[in-house]
Amino acid sequence: MLMDLFSTIILLICIYTFRHYCFTLNRLFGRQRHPYVDVETAVWPPITVLIAAHNEEAVVADIIKALLEADYPREKMTIIPVNDRSTDRTREIIDAFAEEHPSIEPFHRVGGKPGKAAALKEAMLRVNTEVVLIFDADYIPGKALLRQLVAPFFDPEIGAVMGRVVPLNVGKKCLTRLLDLERSGGYQVDQQARMNLHLVPQYGGTVAGVRKVALEEIGGWNQNALAEDTDLTYRLLLAGWKTAYENRAECYEEVPERWPVRVRQIMRWAKGHNQAMISYIVPTAKCSSLGWFERVDGVLLLGVYLMGPVLLLGWLLAVVLFYTGVQIGGGLTVLALGAFTTLGNFAAFFEIAAAARLDGSRQRIRLLPLTLFGFTVSLISVSQAAWQQAQESLFGSAELVWDKTERSRTAPVLDDPLSPAAHVLRGSL
Amino acid sequence: MWPWAPLGLTTVTAALLALPVTPALYELWKRGDAAPLPTSRHDGRIANFAEIFHSRLAPLRPQLERCRTQREVFLTSIDGMQVLLVGSNSEDFDFHPSLTECVDAIMLSQPALVPAGTVVEADLCTDSILELGEGSALRAARGASDIILGKNSVVLRWLHADGTIRLRPGSTAYGRISAGQSIWLEPGCVFEHMHSPQILTVDSHQGDVDQRDTKYVPSKIHVCQNHVCQTQEGTREDPQPAVLDGTDASDAFTSSRKRIRIQGDFVLAAGETLSANVIATGEIRLGHGAHLFGTAKSYKDTVIEQDACVHGGIVCGGTVELGPRSFVTGPLLAEADVFIARGTRVGEPDALTTISSCRIQIAAGCRLHGTVWARVRGSVEV
Repeated sequence: MLMDLFSTIILLICIYTFRHYCFTLNRLFGRQRHPYVDVETAVWPPITVLIAAHNEEAVVADIIKALLEADYPREKMTIIPVNDRSTDRTREIIDAFAEEHPSIEPFHRVGGKPGKAAALKEAMLRVNTEVVLIFDADYIPGKALLRQLVAPFFDPEIGAVMGRVVPLNVGKKCLTRLLDLERSGGYQVDQQARMNLHLVPQYGGTVAGVRKVALEEIGGWNQNALAEDTDLTYRLLLAGWKTAYENRAECYEEVPERWPVRVRQIMRWAKGHNQAMISYIVPTAKCSSLGWFERVDGVLLLGVYLMGPVLLLGWLLAVVLFYTGVQIGGGLTVLALGAFTTLGNFAAFFEIAAAARLDGSRQRIRLLPLTLFGFTVSLISVSQAAWQQAQESLFGSAELVWDKTERSRTAPVLDDPLSPAAHVLRGSL
Repeated sequence: MWPWAPLGLTTVTAALLALPVTPALYELWKRGDAAPLPTSRHDGRIANFAEIFHSRLAPLRPQLERCRTQREVFLTSIDGMQVLLVGSNSEDFDFHPSLTECVDAIMLSQPALVPAGTVVEADLCTDSILELGEGSALRAARGASDIILGKNSVVLRWLHADGTIRLRPGSTAYGRISAGQSIWLEPGCVFEHMHSPQILTVDSHQGDVDQRDTKYVPSKIHVCQNHVCQTQEGTREDPQPAVLDGTDASDAFTSSRKRIRIQGDFVLAAGETLSANVIATGEIRLGHGAHLFGTAKSYKDTVIEQDACVHGGIVCGGTVELGPRSFVTGPLLAEADVFIARGTRVGEPDALTTISSCRIQIAAGCRLHGTVWARVRGSVEV
């Protein structure tokens, strides 16, 4: 029994290791697909930009300013800052911009169900364009970003688009430097490889776009989803819509600077992802309109956050089996395990290293051994999240709240000449 | 036993364990590569290089004017860039290597001719017509008027003219070429990335083409309702854009149109019309004179036969073949190649679009509006 479970865990780990290597080798040596990146001239469609904001007085001015400077036909762009029950100066700041710019149509939400998905669902009632772009309030889009995110929608099969997130506050702490490497691996290798291989790039909920018709077809935002982004990716996929990833549609974000904030963030992601896994793993595996590789990737993507507790369980079982004297297998098995420990364990780190190389980073690659520490924290956090979720499913679920990641920015930076961040951002605008 | 042995052993072991993370700790301490990754600054303007070059040289305009009045050549510098100001005309200034060597840029105020076979390594900025002689080569040029590339001449980096650019047979323009009015390409030309309100492929003997706005209005509009095609009579003279199902037929971006997903190939028979966005996992073929009001997406190849029209875009995982006199509103995005036959139009003068592919081959007599981007090689049929 224990041996069977252990074998299953080993098999799962091997599958994910293989997946890591496939993606990394594809990015290093495979054919790269950027089918929409060259669309620089077109009759651009009208768009609505939703800015999800909940107590964002420190950052909301920066994103509105950046959007107003964006290189997109002004008459075709409406900006809707979605102020969800903020208790700080967010409303005041948004209204001040709206008075000066008629293209800004604020939506101040004072009640209703909490959560980003619920806020976006209500905001969608005010949208009358075919393409909707979504940003969190702490993101600062560059000048060309909007057109890069809209271009894939010329493809009638595309229901959602995801851009690349680049950490801005990299140099602040050890954590931010590790998260920078992690984000590189996730976007530069993982997402782009899925795009290259016609698999399932993931809609990430910010620096993203969605086609209104597609959203309506699947019933709009799911207010009960903990991770509305993963939920949307799979509902679109099952309804025959694809998500496109635009690696060159880059946008700066601030990553958590404190470990407790990071732990909360990854636990929230893990819970949301696991919730989506429960809902969509069987429909994805059975969906006949998807290709085999798409189905496999879709299922594996749903399981990524479950692999944390699975790995922990595997380690525990290995110790138990060792001390109970159970024979793991013959020489071939030991050889396979030996090969895995030399190659398999490093698959995720190989991915990050490849991403750093593709990004042209030379010295940050030296931090790679330290990502083991970040990996350990993530492993424990996602395992804890899975454990909490299991308890909640047994004893009743907790109420949905807008669990916002703590911002490190304390004031707008775009107009601050002394801010190093402003220098970087101005360069990108 | 030496009493410090345990401590020594522990220290050596700790040092050995720390060795692999030493570079990491060093980087963490020195923060040698801790800046945010630079994000893409590409703003989609093809004439970016030309505009920057022009603005860098702008302070030298008064000096150039003096050179022009005195018909002299003067060497100066700006921002560490050696600039040759040429006030004389093409008869007096022949781009001789002795004049242009060690010069980063040349500003010309008079019409200029780069003699046949000459290689100019400096970037050119001219207020007047610039012509490259047969077999000459140029790094980059910006012209306030027209630029003509002679037979088998080469431009290596970029070219921009506020007026018209004409590429004579066999000439090659690597990198970006952009023109404020039009780009004319003759047989055998090679290009990569070009943009202009009008891009015309002409036969080498053809001095001009009919530049009237021949906005296409279909003679018949077929409305597809509940999978049954009905036909309504329209008029070719109607100056208004075709309107179908309450949507503007010239609008490539109407996702409210019905979406048809097909597992396998899709064929729209000759003369038929369909209003829908079509997605096929196989090939898409539009027969002779067929009309598609919507965008066609195929995982494999797409063939648009003679006189067929796509009032929308084409997205293709393989090769796109546009038959003679076909029309596509655009954008046209192909992951493999694009072959454009004689008489084809892509885009409209008031609705510029993009053609993007690895390789693009265009026959003579085509009219394209907007951006043409061949990631590997674009050429005009000989």
